[in-house]
Amino acid sequence: MAPEPPLLSMSGITKSFPGVRALDGVDLDVQAGEVHCLLGQNGAGKSTLIKVLAGAHQPDDGTISWRGEPVTLRSPIVAMRLGIATIYQELDLVEHLSVAENVHLGHEPTAAGFVVRGKAAKASTAALLKRLGHPEVEPGRLVGELSAAQQQIVSMARALSHDVRLIVMDEPSAALDPEEVDNLFRIVGDLTADGVAVVYISHRLEEIRRIGDRVTVLKDGRAVAGGLPAKSTPTREVVALMTGRNVEYVFPERPATPRDADVAPVLEVQGLAREGEFAPVDLTVRPGEIVGLAGLVGSGRSEILETIYGARKPTAGQVIVGGSVLRPGSVRAAVRAGLGLAPEERKAQALLMLESVTRNVSVSSMSRFARGGWIDRGAELGAARAATRELSLRPDNPSVPVRTLSGGNQQKAVLARWLLRGCRVLLLDEPTRGVDVGARAELYAVIRRLADEGLAVLLVSSEVPEVLGLADRVLVLREGQVVHTAPARELDEHRVLDLVMEGAPVASASSAVDSPAAGGRGPAS
Amino acid sequence: MPESTPFTSRRGLLFGTAAVGAGALLAGCTSNEPDDEPAGNDDQPAAADTPGKAVTIGFAGPQADHGWLNAINDNAKNRAKKYSDVTLEITEGSNDTAAQIGQIETLINKKVDVLVILPADGKALTQVGLKAMRAGIPVVNLDRIFNTPQAYRCWIGGDNYGMGLNAGHYIGEQLKDVDDAKVIELAGLDNLELTKQRTQGFDDALKNYPNIKKVARQAAEFTVESGQAKMAQLLQAQPKFNALWNHDDDQGVGALRAIEQAGRDDFVMVGGAGALAAFQAIKQDNGVLKATVLYPPTMAASAIDLARALGQAKGVSGLSEFEIPSSLTLYSAVVDKDNVDQYMPTGFK
Amino acid sequence: MTQPVSPPRDSTDKVPSTGQLPAWRTTVARADVRTLSLLGVLAALIVVGGITKPDEFLDTRNLQLVLTQGSVIGVVTVGMTFVIMSGGIDLSVGAIVALASVWATTVATQEYGFAGILFTAVLVGVGCGLVNGLLIAYGGMVPFIATLAMLASARGLALQITDGATQIVTIDSVLDLGERDAYILGIPPLVLVFAVVTIIGWLILNRTTFGRRTVAVGGNAEAARLAGIDVRRQRLYLYLLSGLCCGIAAFLLIILSGSGQNTNGNLYELDAIAAAIIGGTLLSGGRGTIVGSVLGVLIFTTITNIFALNNLQSDVQQIAKGAIIVAAVLVQRRTASTT
Repeated sequence: MAPEPPLLSMSGITKSFPGVRALDGVDLDVQAGEVHCLLGQNGAGKSTLIKVLAGAHQPDDGTISWRGEPVTLRSPIVAMRLGIATIYQELDLVEHLSVAENVHLGHEPTAAGFVVRGKAAKASTAALLKRLGHPEVEPGRLVGELSAAQQQIVSMARALSHDVRLIVMDEPSAALDPEEVDNLFRIVGDLTADGVAVVYISHRLEEIRRIGDRVTVLKDGRAVAGGLPAKSTPTREVVALMTGRNVEYVFPERPATPRDADVAPVLEVQGLAREGEFAPVDLTVRPGEIVGLAGLVGSGRSEILETIYGARKPTAGQVIVGGSVLRPGSVRAAVRAGLGLAPEERKAQALLMLESVTRNVSVSSMSRFARGGWIDRGAELGAARAATRELSLRPDNPSVPVRTLSGGNQQKAVLARWLLRGCRVLLLDEPTRGVDVGARAELYAVIRRLADEGLAVLLVSSEVPEVLGLADRVLVLREGQVVHTAPARELDEHRVLDLVMEGAPVASASSAVDSPAAGGRGPAS
Repeated sequence: MPESTPFTSRRGLLFGTAAVGAGALLAGCTSNEPDDEPAGNDDQPAAADTPGKAVTIGFAGPQADHGWLNAINDNAKNRAKKYSDVTLEITEGSNDTAAQIGQIETLINKKVDVLVILPADGKALTQVGLKAMRAGIPVVNLDRIFNTPQAYRCWIGGDNYGMGLNAGHYIGEQLKDVDDAKVIELAGLDNLELTKQRTQGFDDALKNYPNIKKVARQAAEFTVESGQAKMAQLLQAQPKFNALWNHDDDQGVGALRAIEQAGRDDFVMVGGAGALAAFQAIKQDNGVLKATVLYPPTMAASAIDLARALGQAKGVSGLSEFEIPSSLTLYSAVVDKDNVDQYMPTGFK
Repeated sequence: MTQPVSPPRDSTDKVPSTGQLPAWRTTVARADVRTLSLLGVLAALIVVGGITKPDEFLDTRNLQLVLTQGSVIGVVTVGMTFVIMSGGIDLSVGAIVALASVWATTVATQEYGFAGILFTAVLVGVGCGLVNGLLIAYGGMVPFIATLAMLASARGLALQITDGATQIVTIDSVLDLGERDAYILGIPPLVLVFAVVTIIGWLILNRTTFGRRTVAVGGNAEAARLAGIDVRRQRLYLYLLSGLCCGIAAFLLIILSGSGQNTNGNLYELDAIAAAIIGGTLLSGGRGTIVGSVLGVLIFTTITNIFALNNLQSDVQQIAKGAIIVAAVLVQRRTASTT
């Protein structure tokens, strides 16, 4: 008996966009029933590759075989008919349609060819949702009313409503809590047991260890390693393949001596609360200090940060910067007092994507370069350049549009904005979200350096190792309450996760306690 | 819109002195000028003028966003005031067909004795006209005609085709002795049927004068602004021509402005409708505007006369008929320097 | 980092680094391609006009005519461009022009002469813009709805003031500005005003903090807010600016037509939006140019002119206008995606 051909075989795939060669001869083999992980930094070509696979992009060169037969994926419909489904990171659901309508969008069960059989659609949707472990999602509800995790389940149900042989999942765990991730992995396990192949894209190495069979690493549009065993390849090797260098010290050293407790705090938060979101919080941050807030999604981390910044109005308490009380609920007052926020959703909340780096950096300090409203563009460009150089932003040209930068460099542009503004307190919300592993180390170094130069930093992250590795002091949050405060040195990951989940009734969450430890981003020092 | 019958048959349909007589009423409404007073010499009501049975007349017209339509409302109101036995129920004008239908239905429910309707759109309001007639309320259809004669007891309106015809004849006579005379036309809103009828009449009249050729036509929008813009372009396109017919005196204000700005005075201009400003310019006789062809808003006053007569079951004085005629088409007289004084009081602002 | 990075130190640091020039050039080139494609359309139109009507079209008087006719809507379009760039829309521009033009030409206003007319037109425009701005920025109304309401109210008020009558201007100093004698070096005063408004608009958009804030609010309002920009105040100013442009346009229209009428400014909102869009302004905000919008206006005015000179009727003109909008946007998308 001849060996079974791979389900999917892509070879020599090349794709160029004006000015960029996104894919440069990539090979990818996927076997039926395996979880094939795709790793790579931003811009490595992952999204382009999956768009080629989904029929959304046409390759300039290379061949694609499906069950041993050469095929041309002219359009997404062709790919879908073959049994290739893609679940994109930004879910493509219609918010104002019901769950069942979304699941069957484009292939509604009909009577006489055009009358939609709503009941049949609902029944089959309910069956799919049950299979996906979410029987509580009602097929008749509007998708816009669902949580992010539930929406993802709907997106998956839509994929499964076709006769699917291969599912591409683009960072499916990014918006999920640990127990949701567990459910996702269970679904992936069920699918592969049925012989469905999964192409799984994630930044989280520990996830790949848990569910992956093989790993293909992309770098600069090439597959630098194909079909590595997912469970046994050392983390350092994978990181080295992605970044092209060995990452010895991911986190920068803390200052040898702890910050002098006599230095007056620049940021004081007293009894700050928002009803229904978080209980009264007290915290202080001194110049040169990095304070971390650790907690799960929904613990009130981001809400606290945004309330300090004035983007949300507190129901109680006050924020004091440099000795004076801020007007509550006023971003402008906060900015004037020297606060700067790098928000969680960089593209939606921080960046002007159509604009240059310069304009993104100078947007909060424009009046400094203006006389009577008239901008001195030379001075502006020079200052933006100085600020971006200070953070080693690449490329070293502040005139390029900010949308062309990688995630890490976009984050640096946001930091440069506040650096230029001369802010005293930096509020960082998930500063490394969407930033790849190699670039994270550099970002950590930048944050530490800014603190060393006298900035006060308040950091929020859902990744416990990040908070522990970067912060001097850590506040642990659970359900809107600060449950523990301690120097980061005195905490470890297990302790924090215990605190975060203490009394939490979700038993399955315990698996999440162990999993991050297997990851490669723990404090290496 | 009135049907396009040859103008020679029009005279037979004229009744009494109504058109001219009612025209003696002034259009001015907010004006505080001294000549606000009716001329008084021949404002004889068309029907017997002795007070009779009390009549309630419902009046529904479009929004008066234009000088001519405003004059229509004023003519109707002022005429009704003349009669001690007439109560006028006038609706707020509307250009929205649905709104106007609603207003007319309200009048039907109020059981007015007679309805005078100037529809925003004749075709679209036919049904409500029929409804009124079936409810036993006679309808006087003003100017914009319903789809079927069943929807009105009497139609009275202007003659768009005749307007073009008379303008063409007037210009033709003026240029009779000019070889290879060139004429241009500044039309009104091109998506209205009445504009096509006016142009048709104009073209038909010019056929009688082989020495005259219409060399250009552009459509404005009955507004000063569009009149200025289109006229400026026409003047640039035609460095030399002998006569211009402009469909509407309102847009004519803009057209005259463009002519002044271009410094042109080498042609004769004829207007349309009968605005006061046009009459004054004709009387002064120091510009290109030499005449204007009437589309008299006094028809609204006549409509009130007819409605009252219908309500009191009277005929029209001066005619031997017992009944009010079913259709009355007004004559589009040409007003020039010779007769402008007679028409001056009917000019609208 | 307790000290802001000081600009003087860095502005002397004009490093022409190697990677900088090409990127800078592509940015400029992209803007140029957009503008060039519009100039190409305009050039093509001029060729068509020159071939079909060489004597009448290629004539100084005709150039003066085209620019004059474009001045009124052009000034409105400059204001509209700012509003659209901020992610808003102003449907009330035509109605504001109408209201300003009739308010400025009432018998009572005309008693105050030239200054009275100019002052009233501008004040009415700014006043309407203020109402729009307050409703949108502080009343939380959607621009589409707020300006739609203003459209209806301003038209209604204009009708009430005039009672449907045309108000003739009798002030000679106003009328004279529309005459040939007032041309300065062959340039009609209206065109001069249009040019000045365009230049000021360009400078504001590209060289001032006001322009930057406009772009920031349109590109990403939430990001602008979190960057410390007073988004609401900026929105208020933008509708004020649009109202101001409408007031100026109304004054130009009074000069041009020698009158005020409640039907003035008919469908200006659509013409201005169309001109801005074919000029490359993104309807969702964040991108656009004054030059593009003005070229859009000139393209429309030139088409109207060529059609009128060739005695083509308004049905054909309207069809062509629609086709030009589609063609211009398609051409731009193509050139933008291949650059």
